[in-house]
Amino acid sequence: PARSAEQYCSLPPPMNIHFESSNMKNVLHWSPPEGVGDGVFYRVKYLVYGENKWIKKSECQNIDRTWCDLSSDTYDHEKQYYASVKAFLEGNCSSWAETERFNPLTDTQIDPPAVTVSSTEKSISIVLTAPEKWKRTPEDKSVPLVHIYSVLQYNVSVLNKKTNKKWWFSIKSNTLIVPRLESNTVYCISVQTHVRIPRLFSGFSEESCIATLKDPNAEHA
Amino acid sequence: RTGFTAIKANIQARDTVRTTSILSFPYSLHRVNSEDTCCIIHHLLKFYVDMVFKHCETEDSWVNRKISSIANSFLSIKKNFRHCHQQSLCRCGEEATQKYKQILTNYSQLNVKNAAMKSLGELDILLDWMEKAY
Amino acid sequence: MHSDKEALLPAPQNISIFSTNMKHFLTWSPVIIPGETVRYSVEFQGEYERYYANESWIPISECSFIIVTQCNVTEDISATVPYNLRVRADVGTQGSEWGTLKRLFNRNTTLLTPPRIKVIADGYHLLVELEDMGPAFQFHILYWKNGQESSVQKMMVKEITSAVHLDTVEAGTDYCVKVQTYVEAINRSSNFSQTQCIRVQDA
Repeated sequence: PARSAEQYCSLPPPMNIHFESSNMKNVLHWSPPEGVGDGVFYRVKYLVYGENKWIKKSECQNIDRTWCDLSSDTYDHEKQYYASVKAFLEGNCSSWAETERFNPLTDTQIDPPAVTVSSTEKSISIVLTAPEKWKRTPEDKSVPLVHIYSVLQYNVSVLNKKTNKKWWFSIKSNTLIVPRLESNTVYCISVQTHVRIPRLFSGFSEESCIATLKDPNAEHA
Repeated sequence: RTGFTAIKANIQARDTVRTTSILSFPYSLHRVNSEDTCCIIHHLLKFYVDMVFKHCETEDSWVNRKISSIANSFLSIKKNFRHCHQQSLCRCGEEATQKYKQILTNYSQLNVKNAAMKSLGELDILLDWMEKAY
Repeated sequence: MHSDKEALLPAPQNISIFSTNMKHFLTWSPVIIPGETVRYSVEFQGEYERYYANESWIPISECSFIIVTQCNVTEDISATVPYNLRVRADVGTQGSEWGTLKRLFNRNTTLLTPPRIKVIADGYHLLVELEDMGPAFQFHILYWKNGQESSVQKMMVKEITSAVHLDTVEAGTDYCVKVQTYVEAINRSSNFSQTQCIRVQDA
């Protein structure tokens, strides 16, 4: 039988234990202990900082993978958390390896917004859909990050593919119309979410390219 | 915020007592009524300047410089807050007074060095709440 | 009785701070000891240290035992309170007395220079290129149709990106732009840049 958890353990501990968080979907990751072969399995527990008990993560007991989704357990982004992992191999075990204190509000990576672009002959309109906080179930109510971070804006770049000139817009609303453009020209749009307090930046969205329509007069000229 | 972010991991690693909190016990600052916000911020600025920073010296001179940066920034904010307090714009209701007493009680449960380092490590809790409140 | 070397090792003089656009540099006159390499060390003291930490001083490791007579103190002067700074000279094991600033320094006295700008008309679009002056800086942009100074448009830019789009404009018209910086941490603005005007292409 496996040793009881608290007896003498000589296995090296799991390494590089940390949270990988995106829009507050908080997944614990670690690397196997150094120099051990296959057959290692792990137990995960977590703690709400300031509360006096560690909680076993039931879905992550005796697992052989090196990650554990703690999103629902760390859902309250106004609290901070620790997580810990212990390794077991052939009756031996390791000490608990612990994360740094995790603060979902400041330690998450936010996504760029979803970008929808349409065009007319002389203008393009850009509609942005704010990234949302991770949801336990699809039916859960959506919480846009703009409701969590009070100062959130978007940096929008518009690239004229004909002249290769790029313009920048900084907007707080989620729509932008750029009028008086050249007809029959391709424009590529990329958008970044920017939280000013605390200071967080998303990556840039994939380029969304669209062509303004042909000018009918030009054709008959 | 920048100064604290730079030393957050270092300072929080020095706080080995995971199961207690100075600012969040028994309930989070986020549950404070909005009309008590000014009073609690006023008290906490004083708490950090008078009671916390002086016990946070470390063996690492770079960390000490960042702590100095935070302490002097708190002093600067505290001065700005003094105007509000003097013009009694900072109402101190019963709940605010109770919450601050609880924080002092939590602080006194630990030896002063541990309590100070834990309080410094909880600065993100305070800043998150202050930034949301204002 | 002072040994000869101590008697010869005066404290650094003319200690002063040059601060422009929130970058702060401490400078002092060299201490000349023929045949010797003189090294300098810098320490700072904020208002917190003066009133709450027994007037303690904090060394700046990047400026410990340096041979140049200048130190970038921007990282440490990071609050809007009065700071004191001091410099000591060392030759071997001999250290001079500390030389300190004549007056305390507060970063709210930094010199704010007007930003360099470049106005662009790209088709019917007015843009301005701004220089990156660091995260402390915001930009107040004013633009108007040449000759219609009464109807000025304003824009505030907080994060620097290259060509900032100001507006869609009328063909064949001259537009003018001027910009000032604003530093929230010290609640001060620079003077405005030179006004730049540009003609938008005809229809």
